[in-house]
Amino acid sequence: MTGIKKVSAYGLLAVASIISIFPFFWMVISSTNKSSDVTQGKLLPGAELMNNLTKLLDTIDLVPALLNSAKISILTTILAMLIASLAGYGFEIYRSKSKDILFNILLLSMMIPFAALMVPLFRMFGSISQVLPAIGIDTTAAVILPTVTTAFLIFFFRQNTKMFPREILEAGRIDGLSELGIFFRIYIPTMKTTYAAAAIITFMASWNSYLWPLVVLQTPEKMTIPLLISNLGSSYSPDFGVIMTAIVIATLPSALLFFLMQKHFVAGMMGSVK
Amino acid sequence: MKKMLSLLLVSILLLSACSGSKSKDASTSSGKDTKEITVWAWDPNFNIKALNLAKDAYKSENPDLNVKVVENAQADIVQKLNTSLSSGTTKGLPNAVLIEDYRAQSFLQAYPDMFYEMTDKIKADDFAAYKIPPTSLDGKNYGVPFDTGVTGLYIRTDYLEKAGLKVSDVQDMDWNKYIEVGKKIKKATGKVMLTQDPKDLGLIRMMIQSSGSWYLKEDGKTPDLAGNEALKEAFKTYKAILDADLVKPASDWSQFVGGFNSGDVATVPTGNWITPSVKAEASQSGKWAVVSMPRQSDNPKSVNASNLGGSSWYVLNIPGKEKAADFLAKTFGSNVDFYQTLNKEIGAIGTYKPAAEGGAYKASDDFFGGQKVVSDFASWTEKIPQVNYGLHTYAIEDILAVEMQNYLKGKNLDKALEDAQAQAEAQIK
Repeated sequence: MTGIKKVSAYGLLAVASIISIFPFFWMVISSTNKSSDVTQGKLLPGAELMNNLTKLLDTIDLVPALLNSAKISILTTILAMLIASLAGYGFEIYRSKSKDILFNILLLSMMIPFAALMVPLFRMFGSISQVLPAIGIDTTAAVILPTVTTAFLIFFFRQNTKMFPREILEAGRIDGLSELGIFFRIYIPTMKTTYAAAAIITFMASWNSYLWPLVVLQTPEKMTIPLLISNLGSSYSPDFGVIMTAIVIATLPSALLFFLMQKHFVAGMMGSVK
Repeated sequence: MKKMLSLLLVSILLLSACSGSKSKDASTSSGKDTKEITVWAWDPNFNIKALNLAKDAYKSENPDLNVKVVENAQADIVQKLNTSLSSGTTKGLPNAVLIEDYRAQSFLQAYPDMFYEMTDKIKADDFAAYKIPPTSLDGKNYGVPFDTGVTGLYIRTDYLEKAGLKVSDVQDMDWNKYIEVGKKIKKATGKVMLTQDPKDLGLIRMMIQSSGSWYLKEDGKTPDLAGNEALKEAFKTYKAILDADLVKPASDWSQFVGGFNSGDVATVPTGNWITPSVKAEASQSGKWAVVSMPRQSDNPKSVNASNLGGSSWYVLNIPGKEKAADFLAKTFGSNVDFYQTLNKEIGAIGTYKPAAEGGAYKASDDFFGGQKVVSDFASWTEKIPQVNYGLHTYAIEDILAVEMQNYLKGKNLDKALEDAQAQAEAQIK
């Protein structure tokens, strides 16, 4: 009986993993084939990878776009970690009624879809451009600022702070650490796994972010990698082999980051459930 | 605390004072600085190349002007334009932009002040007549018509031969004949006639425009679905083609292209812009011909010519508009030689009628068995019936695609179109 149960459980899991892995497999295989083979559904690796890569480098400025994406994602992640964790820590450690109300309002803001905020946000940055062009429309800062912290991240850090032992906090105070000192010297080192999970989520969201960078960036030299991939696909006769090669390259950084920090990520996510 | 508050107030005051003076600076400087114009377009192999060729052609006119070509996907351009225009922020807008004809009216009508009038810069009569309504508003021209979406029926001559037919047999057919030919080809070769994506009613659009009809009445606003004879016949033809089992289903663009690259289908009824994709499969060279588009059988007004897609250039009403208008007018708007280069280099067929007299348009193409494909397309372009695409092509198509499925499942056709009409009226006002 348990044998049958095991077999069917594994069978189900196998089907599920094939379904989730197949698109990834298809992407990698297609990057080695030429466009007409991709459209005809060829499932075996071909010999066109170098060809696709050369064509890709000829059509778009891949390296500058990767650097742009990296700059934006890394800055966003660092800033978001600092701001969101400080906020989440503050909401949990220095609790009061009024702060809880504020926190609830913050959570409500998660319900507004970004599409509804886009036009007002764009208007805002349009006005900022008049005063401070350095952070106005068509700058890296304009891409980073609206995503520098999110209600979700603050919520995530607050939930995890619930596990932070109060005793350590008291001990720190008795030993004469300032409140900020406690945060930087005790809280951050203890909550490493939470930071790892939050960093991966933020980095991936920022790396794949499309709509806001699309709207706010105008100069081709400043464009990020998802925008260039979108350009590749928008042609009367798209070269699917080249597109797939571009997507493989764009996927690598987040995949690498995930695999490197997988252990922490899982631990961090479990933490927030407890 | 009080100190903090006063400091904050002072800094806000300072900031707003700055903003006043700065914005004045910005407007004066951008008024002078128009040595550079920016143009947005999509498709690196087609529109972007066309723009770069235009840039070269314009160098002799005005060597000082720097034309900056920016590539964005079509959907991205629509998104960016909509956000910028609806927020009233002109910063970052291009001087000129390419817009698909089906979408042009929605921009022109929603933001009439944001586009620069081109009536005096180009001669509207020099362009194919069907391009003028989508690019104009209230009798004024705003767009410089660019490529044609003139359609043809790409057909495999080797499959035709196996079915005992010649290319001359399939010229100027109607859709009933198309189905007959399809049955013969299927019997002889086992191949189907075409691929269809149930979400994309491009075939229906081509059929009704060949009869001078559209989803909307001539005002471009009132849905014209129930009681639209051309549309009704198009639905019937669509069903007949499916019933005769001549269709290979496709769910996206790559499967559509794969359908003819792999040799699975005998015909491709679509716009001339598909030529590079057809020619991409070099092993099929000499096995293709392009014949005129089938016409509707029961409609005496229907002609063997139609359109699918195509776009035009627009100048935005921001500093630099005169320069941008001049750039477009002297290249896409009037330069016959430039159109020959366009055709030789990228296979683009424009809608500028005098260009058809040039040498490149008369060249023959070995891939199509030596046929003078471009010249054929150019002559069909002039026959395309003129319709007003109006505002809601894609919104109505979403509704129709659903009713089409209902009709195919057995719903009464009149009822299906009436329901679509009611839904369209409720949705677009």
